[in-house]
Amino acid sequence: MAEFRAGERVRVRAVDPVGHTRVPRYVRGHRGRIVECQGRWALADECAAGVAEPRTEPVYTVAFAAADLWGEGGHEVTVDLWESYIERVQEDGA
Amino acid sequence: MSRVNDVGGQSGFGALEIEADEPPFHADWEARVFALNSVLVRNGVYRLDEFRDAVERMAPQEYLAASYYERWLHAIETLLAERGLLGDG
Repeated sequence: MAEFRAGERVRVRAVDPVGHTRVPRYVRGHRGRIVECQGRWALADECAAGVAEPRTEPVYTVAFAAADLWGEGGHEVTVDLWESYIERVQEDGA
Repeated sequence: MSRVNDVGGQSGFGALEIEADEPPFHADWEARVFALNSVLVRNGVYRLDEFRDAVERMAPQEYLAASYYERWLHAIETLLAERGLLGDG
């Protein structure tokens, strides 16, 4: 069961994990919009660390405004992100 | 910490060179490295994500100086050595 729905606003957690991760540095801490869920996949971070039974999570395609990421550009950038990489943005924008 | 591979959106690397009619490999050894990695992943010697991690663990100066498939070979050697499957020489 996917936690986030298409159109929801989310923020990428501003983490900087020690090992392998699939969160590009350029989206950390940034807000985006859920486009769609791509199904459940084993968490790459745990697979890379050799965890015997890595957890599986929904993976979402998240769209970001290029101008938010780099200060310019009228296009969107989409990145596929595991659920634990992102959090819901509150109604008050916090 | 962010690793040397994570350069998305970073300037200073120059334009991407788009090669017309680019072949899958530019030398036979590259095809062998590609095949070797596929066999090792499919036989469960290591996972694809462990391979990616091994590429990213390269020393930054070595990573930046290496070609794409040189990084692959470095990662394969790293993982086989760590599993005791590859010795010196």
